[in-house]
Amino acid sequence: MAGYILKRLISAIPVLFGISIIVFVIMAMIPGDPATAILGSYATPENVEKLNRDLGLDKPMVRRYVIWLGNMLQGDFGRSFSLNRPVLDEVMDRFGATLVLAGTSFILCALLGIAAGVVSAARQYGWADKAITFAVLLGISIPSFFLGMMMILIFAVQLRWFPVSGMWPIYGARDLSALISHLTLPALALAVVATGVVARLSRAAMLEVLRQDFIRTARAKGVHERSVIWRHALRAAMVSIIPVLGVQAGFVLSGAVYIEMVFQWPGVGRMLVDAILKRDILLVQGGVVFVAACYVGFNIIVDVAQSLLDPRIKT
Amino acid sequence: MSAFFKLLARNRLALAGLIVMGAVVLLALLTPLLPLANPDVTDLGNRFKPPLSEGALLGTDHLGRDLLSRLMWGTRLSLAVGFAAAIIAATLGAAIGIIAGFYGGRTDNVIMRGVDMLMAFPYILLALAIVAALGPGLLNALIAVAAVNIPFFARNIRGITVGIAHKEFVDAARLCGMTDTRIIVGEVLPNVIPVIVIAMSTTVGWMILETAGLSFLGLGSQPPQADLGSMLGEARSALITNPHTSIVPGAMILVIVMAINLLGDGVRDALDPRLKSGALSRPMPTTRVERGAVPAPKRNALLSVQGLETQFHVKNRIYRAVGGVDLTVEPGECLGLIGESGSGKSVTALSIMGLVASPPGVITGGAVYYKGEDLIGAPYEQLRSLRGRRVAYIFQDPLATLHPLYTVGDQLIEAIRAHHPTPRAEARARAIELLKSVRIPNADQRIDSYPHEMSGGMRQRVGIAMALANDPEVIIADEPTTALDVTVQAQILSLLDDLRRDRGLAIIFITHDFGVVAQLCDRVAVMYAGRIVEEGPTKAILNRPAHPYTAKLMACVPELGQGRRELAAIPGLPPVVDALPQGCAFADRCHKVQDECRIGDIGLRDLPTGTRVRCIAPETTVSEAAL
Repeated sequence: MAGYILKRLISAIPVLFGISIIVFVIMAMIPGDPATAILGSYATPENVEKLNRDLGLDKPMVRRYVIWLGNMLQGDFGRSFSLNRPVLDEVMDRFGATLVLAGTSFILCALLGIAAGVVSAARQYGWADKAITFAVLLGISIPSFFLGMMMILIFAVQLRWFPVSGMWPIYGARDLSALISHLTLPALALAVVATGVVARLSRAAMLEVLRQDFIRTARAKGVHERSVIWRHALRAAMVSIIPVLGVQAGFVLSGAVYIEMVFQWPGVGRMLVDAILKRDILLVQGGVVFVAACYVGFNIIVDVAQSLLDPRIKT
Repeated sequence: MSAFFKLLARNRLALAGLIVMGAVVLLALLTPLLPLANPDVTDLGNRFKPPLSEGALLGTDHLGRDLLSRLMWGTRLSLAVGFAAAIIAATLGAAIGIIAGFYGGRTDNVIMRGVDMLMAFPYILLALAIVAALGPGLLNALIAVAAVNIPFFARNIRGITVGIAHKEFVDAARLCGMTDTRIIVGEVLPNVIPVIVIAMSTTVGWMILETAGLSFLGLGSQPPQADLGSMLGEARSALITNPHTSIVPGAMILVIVMAINLLGDGVRDALDPRLKSGALSRPMPTTRVERGAVPAPKRNALLSVQGLETQFHVKNRIYRAVGGVDLTVEPGECLGLIGESGSGKSVTALSIMGLVASPPGVITGGAVYYKGEDLIGAPYEQLRSLRGRRVAYIFQDPLATLHPLYTVGDQLIEAIRAHHPTPRAEARARAIELLKSVRIPNADQRIDSYPHEMSGGMRQRVGIAMALANDPEVIIADEPTTALDVTVQAQILSLLDDLRRDRGLAIIFITHDFGVVAQLCDRVAVMYAGRIVEEGPTKAILNRPAHPYTAKLMACVPELGQGRRELAAIPGLPPVVDALPQGCAFADRCHKVQDECRIGDIGLRDLPTGTRVRCIAPETTVSEAAL
C-alpha cells in the first residue's frame, strides 16, 4: 500500500508541472506590459521598470518560468499589491474557509447522493424513484448562485432560521455552533448540484450491479434484501461511484466560487474574483496554482480509496 | 433517424423539454421584432416597480429599466453566448480529438497528456485564470468557457476516432492513395459528427450556466449590456428588498437549463439500446407471480414441482421459457435435468426459490411444494428463510457468481449468519471447516482470499461450501462443472456424490452432458423447449432412450475408444419460445415426424421400462421393451 501511494505521489509530479506551465502560459497571454497590468495604469514608469526587473520580466520566457517555479517551490508566491501582503499567506488564510465550506458540501453530496441513488435504484419506477429523479433533475438544473439567493430569501430573511451571510457572527463567540449556523445554507446550496449528479450516477451504477450474477447468489443464500442492496450491490457499485466523487470534488470547488460570492464567505474563490476585478495578477496566479495543486492531491486520495475498496487493483 | 424522433416523442419529458426550449429560442429570435421597451433606458423615478405594474409586466429594476425587455434581451444574449461557446468547444475539441485519434502514436500521446493536464483543473480555476489574463468581458468569458470545455470534447472524440481509424473503409481509402486530410474529412468526420452533436446537446446547458455564472461574478458581460447572469448579479444587492428583480432572471436560467437537460436525457435514452430491451431494469427480490388455479400437491415428496410455467415478458412479446414442468426429488436422490442451452433448465431451477430475474420473468402457473408447503407466491420473508437454509444453489461460473470485493471467508460467514446468528469467530471456524469439507487445501489461509485469487476449481468448491453452509436438504446445482476442465470436474462430481450419500442431500443437477448424468444421477429428466420430453431412471433412459430427441442428444456425445462412431449433430435449431409451434416442439428436427405430431398437445405417456415420454412414436415400442 505504501508503495502504491508513493507511486501515485510520484506520478503527480508531472501533472503539477503541467499545471504550472498552463497557468504560466495563460498569464503570459496578458496583453501589453505585465508590470503595468500588475501595478495598474497609474503606476509611475520607474515603478514599472523596477517591478519588471524584480519579477525578471525583462528576461526570456523560459527563464522567467524557471525563476517563477523556483520561487514558488521555496514558498514565495510573490506579493499581492492590492492587499500588500505575501500571496501565499493570503491564499492559505482564505483556503481554510473554502475547505470548511467545500469539504462540508462534498461530504453532504456524497452521503445524500449515494443514498438517493441507491433508494432510487432499489425502488426503480416506484414513487420514491420518481420523486428522487425529479428532484435530481431540478437540482442539476438550478444555478447554485440562484439557489443560494433564494435560500437566503426564504430561510434567512423570511424564516430567520439562519444568518444571511458571512462565516462568523460580527459580535459574539466564534464557536462551533456559530459556524454551523453560518455554514448550513451555503453548504446546502453548494451541495445540491453535485448531489444530483452523484445520485444519478449512483442509480445507474446500482442498476448495472443489481443485474449481476453475484447478487442472485446473495439472494440464493437467503441474505436479507436490505443487505443485498446496501452491502453487496452498493459495495460493488462504489467501484464506479468513487471516480465520480473525485470529479464532483472539482465541481464543488468550482461552485464554491459562486456560493462564496452569494454568502460573503471569506474563501479563496471570492478572493480570486476580487483579485481579477482589481487586476491583482500575482494573487490570481498564486491562488489558482495553489488550489489546483490541492485538487491534484485530493485526487490521489480518491485513487488510494479506490484501491482500498477494490482488491483487484494491483497495489 | 425517424425511429429516433419517434422514440424521442414517446419520451414525454424530453418532448416537454424540446417544446420549452423551442419556445425560448423562438422568443429570443423574435425579440428585436417585439414591441418591447428599450432595455437600457433608465428611469430613476420608476425604480423597483413590482411585477404586473402598468407598462411593465414584470416590473422594473434598480435603475427603472423594464424587466421584461431586459429578460428577453438577456435571454437572447445568454443563449447566443452559450451556443457559441458550445460550438467553439465542440469544433476545436473535435479537431484535437480527431487528430490525436487518427494519427495515434506520439502525436496522440503528447496531445492527450496536455488534455489530461487541463482536466486536472477544477474548471472554474482555468476559466478564472483565462478571464484574469484577458480581462473581464463577455467575449473573454465566452472564450474561457469554450476553452474549459475543449478537453471534454477532445477526449470523447478521440475515443471514437481511434475506433474508426482502424476500420476497413479507412484502410481502403488509404490504399486508394487518398491524402490524410481527405480521409479525415471524407471518411472519419461523417462518422464522428453524430457523437459531436450528442455531446453538444448534453453540454450546452452547462455552457449557458457557466457563462451566466461568470457574468454573475461580474467577469462576463459589462453594463449596460446584460445577459441573464449579470442581471442576477446586479439584482443581488436588492435581493432582500426587491426579490422579483432576482427571481425573474434566475427562474429563466433554471427553465432553460432544465429544458436542455430534459432534452439531453431524452436524446441519451433514445440512443441507449439497453433501455429499449429493458435490460436496465432491476430484478426484484422475488420473481413476480401471476397464476390462476394452483395444482394440489400430488404426493408427499421432499420437493415437488407441478405444472410450473415461467415466462419472460419483454415489451409485447411473451417467451414461454418453462411450459408446464413436473419434477420431484426425494432425500438422498439425485435428479438430472438435461437439455440444450435455452431449453428452460436453469429457469425451472431458479423458479423454485423465486430467483428468476423479474422483470422480465413471471411465474404464470403451477406450484412448487417443499414438504407440502407451496413456495410459489410465498411471502418474501418465508422464501428468504428457506433460501440457502433448506434449498441451496450452486451456480455455474463462480467468478461471476461470487462477490468480487469480499473474501470467500466473508461470503461464507455471511451465508451462515444469514440464518443462524452466531458470533463472527464461531462462524469463521465453521467456514474453515466447510472449506475443508470441500477439500480445499490450507483452508485456514484460503479463507482470506478473494475470488479472483483462486483457480476455477477452487472457486467452484467455495460455491459448494457456501451451498452446504446451513445443511440444506435440497441442493440445486446449475451446471456447476461446465466451466471446469475434466479432471477438476471429476473431483467436483465425486465430492457431490459423497455429500449426497453422507448427508442424505437431495440434488437437482442441471447439465447438458450425458456423461455427467450417467456418473451421478439416479433419475433424469430431459427438457426441450421448456417442457420435459422424457423422464425416468437414468439406466433405463441411457440404455433405451425413448424420445427421438433423447436419442439424438446421446448420439452427440463422443465416446473414448469408439473411434469409428459417427458424431451426429442434431440438424436445425430449437424453436424460439415466443412462437412455439402446435403439437411437438421437436417435430421440425425429428427424423420420424408424422402429421399428427403437429396437432394438439401431446402428453407424457408411461412406458413399461419405467420411463415416461412425450412422443407419439417413441423409439422404444411397447413390444421392444418387453424383450
